Amino acid sequence: MLSPAGVPGMTLAIETSGLTKTYNRRTRALDGVDLQVWPGEVFAFLGPNGSGKTTLMRILTTQFRPTSGEARAFGTDVVRRGSEVRRMIGYVPQETSVWLDITGRENLLIYSKVYAVPKDRRKGSIEDAIQAMGLEEVADRMVNTYSGGTIRRLEIAAALLVKPKILFLDEPTIGLDPSARKAVWESLTAFKGECGTTVFFNTHYMDEADHYSDEIAIINRGRIVKSGTARELKRSLNGEILRFSRNHKQEHYQTHGQNGFDEYAVKKVRELDLVRDAAVSGSLLEVYVDDGERALPLVVEALWSEGVTFDRISTARPTLDDVFLRYAGSCRSGRGGDGG
Amino acid sequence: MTAEDSLREMLAMIELELRRLRHDRTEIYTRAIQPILWLAVFGTVMSEVRGIPTGGLPYIDYITPGVLIQSTIFVSVFYGLTIVWERETGILKRLLVAPASRSATVVGRSIASGVRAVVQALIIFPVAILLGVKFIPNPIYITAAFLVLFLISGGFAAVSIFVASLMKTRERFMGLGQALIMPLFFASNALYPIEMMPPALQYVALVNPLTYAVDAVRGLLISGDLSGLAVDVAAILVFDVVIFAVASVSFRKIIE
Repeated sequence: MLSPAGVPGMTLAIETSGLTKTYNRRTRALDGVDLQVWPGEVFAFLGPNGSGKTTLMRILTTQFRPTSGEARAFGTDVVRRGSEVRRMIGYVPQETSVWLDITGRENLLIYSKVYAVPKDRRKGSIEDAIQAMGLEEVADRMVNTYSGGTIRRLEIAAALLVKPKILFLDEPTIGLDPSARKAVWESLTAFKGECGTTVFFNTHYMDEADHYSDEIAIINRGRIVKSGTARELKRSLNGEILRFSRNHKQEHYQTHGQNGFDEYAVKKVRELDLVRDAAVSGSLLEVYVDDGERALPLVVEALWSEGVTFDRISTARPTLDDVFLRYAGSCRSGRGGDGG
Repeated sequence: MTAEDSLREMLAMIELELRRLRHDRTEIYTRAIQPILWLAVFGTVMSEVRGIPTGGLPYIDYITPGVLIQSTIFVSVFYGLTIVWERETGILKRLLVAPASRSATVVGRSIASGVRAVVQALIIFPVAILLGVKFIPNPIYITAAFLVLFLISGGFAAVSIFVASLMKTRERFMGLGQALIMPLFFASNALYPIEMMPPALQYVALVNPLTYAVDAVRGLLISGDLSGLAVDVAAILVFDVVIFAVASVSFRKIIE
């Protein structure tokens, strides 16, 4: 997935600068957040519990005022012109936000009135939202008979009634089983493809951020510690690892140092342009590179030219979990791993 | 935000309440049991005592307006529980992100509760007739009485929203809700004339909005004495306006 290039003059979907929020004059939930989200992007906001994710979303959705700093949605100030912002956004909080003792369709009807969908478009909007979230079969059943995943899709459907320019989702799939999560995301992706809505979501699930987002920001202790595409973030952790292993029975193991990998050969690999570092552990040579696809032939050639043989190559890429742990893992022990 | 948005949200909240009632009326029926017992047991027994000056009215007739109001107040005061529940869920957050103003949410919910309370009273009304209570058969008076019930219940729903914004958990809310209703009921003219009370309690009764509501409903439904009606309605309206304003301000706190 590509993130749209920053076209000069194009209005950002979300823009914040120096945003802070202090609770009770002591607890600093946000500590100078600068954020840019381009229109049409799916933006994932990652962070440990209590890192400020929900606070930021509640400021952007005009529920709270920031202590200082600015935030704009499509150029409109969320503090000074909150009511205009409320007309262009859809918001699904983390907790259940539909009434359980009426039907799904009735929930959509009430929300369409609350959200000021014009009377002549109300019926159409409700049908569209039901269809977009695949709720046709259950719409006329009481919500207290729904599964968790279906309730979540109904909540998202309610946010789609106004055809929002930005859709805010706070932990959209928390507590759902994998198939329900998939169903939620499939519906969302299809809707987004059709309407081009900007989607901003908070999550704990790295795989969701990895699969469905164009851009990711990681927040820790109220500050954005790293941002970029999933690929960029993963690359920021020493790119890839090329692992060369050799068979213990081979002769070289007996005759060469370093458990079979010639020290000179390893040094030569280390000096290659595309290689960051190389290390031997046991019968394994690990080569750290930025771009595995380009580096691999050069490393193989260097090893062969030194007469080093091996019988297996594997590559390992850092996952987004690794990225998260690196940048936000040490939430309680200080602002550790601060790379951005 | 416009007046139109706010009005639309208020109407939507009333519609929500009516739709909920359509799906499940159990609460309305179970809540009718207590007031019916007040009339059928307490009213019938106390009628035999004849120790309370009721101005010539049978005692059961005398207490019917108070019991009707008490039953509607119960609905309103516990409406705050719904708000506490909605706070724990995401519904309130979502309503705050709607175009209407926050006071529209508060007033809308209060009015919606008033509607629910009137439905509650409608169930007790025929039971009272069966128990022999003689209502003045004037449709305008009866409609006006239900309007008073609606106004006072809406006000108490706002009290309940205000309490909910202070007591953010169900347990605390339940405690305060229980502690609020019965004293208000006893410190009013619902069961006996104010003149019978100790002087200190008489002052409490005079600032108790229930007193005015009971007086108005009693005049309209039972005694036909409307001499105090203007003052009663004015007092209830002042109470509503003040409490709507207070609840709207405190409502901000409920979500933080």
